[in-house]
Amino acid sequence: MFLKRLLKNKIGLIGVIVIGLNIAVALAAPLLATHDPLTINLEAQAVPPSAQHWFGTDEYGRDIYSRVIYGSRISLYICLLSVVLATVGGVATGAAAGYFGGLVDNVIMRCMDALMSFPAILLAIAILAALGPNLYNVIIALGVVYVPRFARIVRSSVLSLKEKEFVEASRAMGNGNIYIIFRHILPNCTAPLIVQATASLAYAILAESSLGFLGLGAPPPAPSWGNILSDARNFMMENPMMTVFPGVAITLAVLGFNLLGDALRDVLDPRLK
Amino acid sequence: MLKYILKRIIYLIPTIGMVAVMVFLLIHMIPGDPALVMLGNDATPQDVEALRDALGLNQPLYQQFFLWVGRVLTGDFGVSIHSKVPVLTSIADRFPVTLSLTTLALVFSLIVSIPSGVLAAVKHNTKSDYMFMLGTILGVSVPGFWLGLLCLLVFSVQLGWFPSTGFVAIWENFWEGLRYLLLPAVTLGLFMAAVVARMVRSSMLEVLRLEYVTHARAKGLSEWKVINKHALKNAFAPALTTIGIQYGMLLGGAVITETVFSLPGLGKYLVVAINMRDYPVVQGCILFIALVYVLINLVVDLLYGFFDPRIEYK
Amino acid sequence: MEPLLRIEDLQVNFHTTQGVAQAVCGVNYHIDPGEVLGVVGESGSGKSVTALAVLGLVPHPGRIAGGRIRYRERDLLNLPAKELRKVRGDRISMIFQEPMISLNPAFTIENQLTEALRTHRSISKQEARNRAVEMLAMVDIPDPAKRIRDYPHHLSGGMRQRVMIAEALLLDPDVLLADEPTTALDVTVQASVLDLMRRLNERIGTAIMLITHNLGVVAESAKRVVVMYCGRVVEQGAVGEIFGNAAHPYTRGLLKSIPRPGGSELYEMKGIVPSILELPQGCPFHPRCPQAMPRCVREQPPWRELAAEHHALCWLYE
Repeated sequence: MFLKRLLKNKIGLIGVIVIGLNIAVALAAPLLATHDPLTINLEAQAVPPSAQHWFGTDEYGRDIYSRVIYGSRISLYICLLSVVLATVGGVATGAAAGYFGGLVDNVIMRCMDALMSFPAILLAIAILAALGPNLYNVIIALGVVYVPRFARIVRSSVLSLKEKEFVEASRAMGNGNIYIIFRHILPNCTAPLIVQATASLAYAILAESSLGFLGLGAPPPAPSWGNILSDARNFMMENPMMTVFPGVAITLAVLGFNLLGDALRDVLDPRLK
Repeated sequence: MLKYILKRIIYLIPTIGMVAVMVFLLIHMIPGDPALVMLGNDATPQDVEALRDALGLNQPLYQQFFLWVGRVLTGDFGVSIHSKVPVLTSIADRFPVTLSLTTLALVFSLIVSIPSGVLAAVKHNTKSDYMFMLGTILGVSVPGFWLGLLCLLVFSVQLGWFPSTGFVAIWENFWEGLRYLLLPAVTLGLFMAAVVARMVRSSMLEVLRLEYVTHARAKGLSEWKVINKHALKNAFAPALTTIGIQYGMLLGGAVITETVFSLPGLGKYLVVAINMRDYPVVQGCILFIALVYVLINLVVDLLYGFFDPRIEYK
Repeated sequence: MEPLLRIEDLQVNFHTTQGVAQAVCGVNYHIDPGEVLGVVGESGSGKSVTALAVLGLVPHPGRIAGGRIRYRERDLLNLPAKELRKVRGDRISMIFQEPMISLNPAFTIENQLTEALRTHRSISKQEARNRAVEMLAMVDIPDPAKRIRDYPHHLSGGMRQRVMIAEALLLDPDVLLADEPTTALDVTVQASVLDLMRRLNERIGTAIMLITHNLGVVAESAKRVVVMYCGRVVEQGAVGEIFGNAAHPYTRGLLKSIPRPGGSELYEMKGIVPSILELPQGCPFHPRCPQAMPRCVREQPPWRELAAEHHALCWLYE
């Protein structure tokens, strides 16, 4: 029913198609790529697009097309895992804060306020500056950055639900806190969580590429989109097309999640239209 | 009113305290010996020990924290390991560049977003509205730094309309400075413009349905006045919160924009410091930007009352 | 006497996703200079839409599909937007049901009171404020010089409705369209606001179109009554005729539903108002009518004159 409405929504359908294509490309990267994304070819350094190298090559002669194709793996991997991390972290802290209230709530929410006091990308930069750039640190950094958004959603819905009769009844029947949270409270805030998660996926892809561009993402020579753009920057004059393709890939990936996010908001929460 | 501002500032203290703790802990999150990491593997054990001493790393953690906070409160953000220049001095040199960049980006995004958001709401469900929605969703999907690279390529390198190297401060020569800042500000502000425009549109749509708008029309006011006086002032309050949050995106985005356009601002300084493992500088910059952001949001909260008088200053 | 405002065969359609709904369907009535006309009907009867149509403010997705609205020789429906704005708020003003949401929360009372004045007349700010304070005093707002600097949320519902009335009468309009002006107010406040409107009508001579779902409100204030049902006028006449000699079964039902002190059990009309999207064939009231005949199901009823100035839309008088 819900899926049907989502797919009937044209915008949502386009979003799903774009995301689906993106996932398909990531999964089928070895089939789609024409070269190995890491192989250095000193005979074809920074060449413009040709039949051999569709998007040209970078300063080490690596095939940009293949790197962009493989880049979708890294981007999707990072953004999915970081949003999962943020969701789990946010649900745990938000539910604890809302459910137990008092000091627990105060301490957790002050921490969340503090996390939100940093511009998002700056916090990720700070964490990566300390931990050092590597794939998993990027996931941790982005995960931490997006935790407060989820925590706030869960906390407010726990607060509004915990006094409701069905929760009281469940408590009177001797059910434990954890059971009540999972059985009665969380199912009631899935809609805003899904909307937030979709939006965060879009942000995470943008953030990941920015971090890669700054040299704080997955370390080179990994073919992340941010890394490719960072390499491209040094060869902008010689091979301008090198800059174009990774950016288009990022834009499409983000666009897919944004379109889906908009459609989900319309379908799940008409009030927010 | 003054009392209210004071109260708001006092409320901010616990948050700022937590921010300070997080920034302080940054150095302790470094895997291994921070002093060794900062100096690199060629450093002699004596150098490392000297730096440990200078950074106070040999003292217990809580003592380090209070010493650090004490120093920060007196304006001592530490000294750069590499240049030996006090961090706050460097920040003071570079922040004006970042501030002028983000302010220009803010001005650009408001100039674009408010009229277009209002227009889209007035022309709800028409072709212009759909074009607007398409434009804004592209605006939030295109990575600003990539757009920056493309603009640099096209407008500076190919067409030569804008300078591609060097920098002139906008407060020294406004028009010349503007040439250096225009592309960075536009590419930085685009995301915010799209977000704020959507917010303005949706809150205008909500407000335009309300009775007081019909009432304003029934008074015989011009449509211009009905929309830009009666509806917009009410619709602007929710958009203002978004603007406050988005200013943080500008401050964060400036780090990347300054790197793309080689602007001598705080963000570029931070990135260079990270690459040189100059942690006192990293700490100082991050703390400073976070404090600026907190301050901006305080100002936004205070402005909110102007657009929605139902908020009482108590 | 030539009527001040005459609504002729007005048609308003609502274009919804489920089809076109006739919200107002051939409505005719008029209002004379200085009189109080009661327009009565349940919600969805088209009474508010008709009033909004007078000012060209039919809300989306409504569209005026036919008819004429004549005001002093002018056809309001065909007036250029600019000319119509000169009528709005100046010659014909309107007050709304919910004083809580009809005043703009973001501006002071002074700002809102004086803007119509300053839009339609060239008058200084100071002068406008003096007029506004005077008017606030006239609608019984205590300490008007101070209250005028307040924001709407500082005032109670009754006070806000007085502010609305003050604003509407500030330019000495010919007609005041009052759309359920007392419905949202406390019962005790209702009487005083109605009383105020009656006094102002006598004093200033502004004609009032009092739109309400409550016949009781009309009884004490109006000279003539128009009863509407499903976008049609079903009965029209002098207030004495309507209360003493109601002809349409719907009007009778409404009369019986008025609570009276010491009265017997309250009468409740059977059924509910049909959706304007699914109007029944024939007379739209027939499913609820205790006197419905086979003919009522098939054919639209005719408009019959029963006495001087007393008409009903019903097959009973054929």
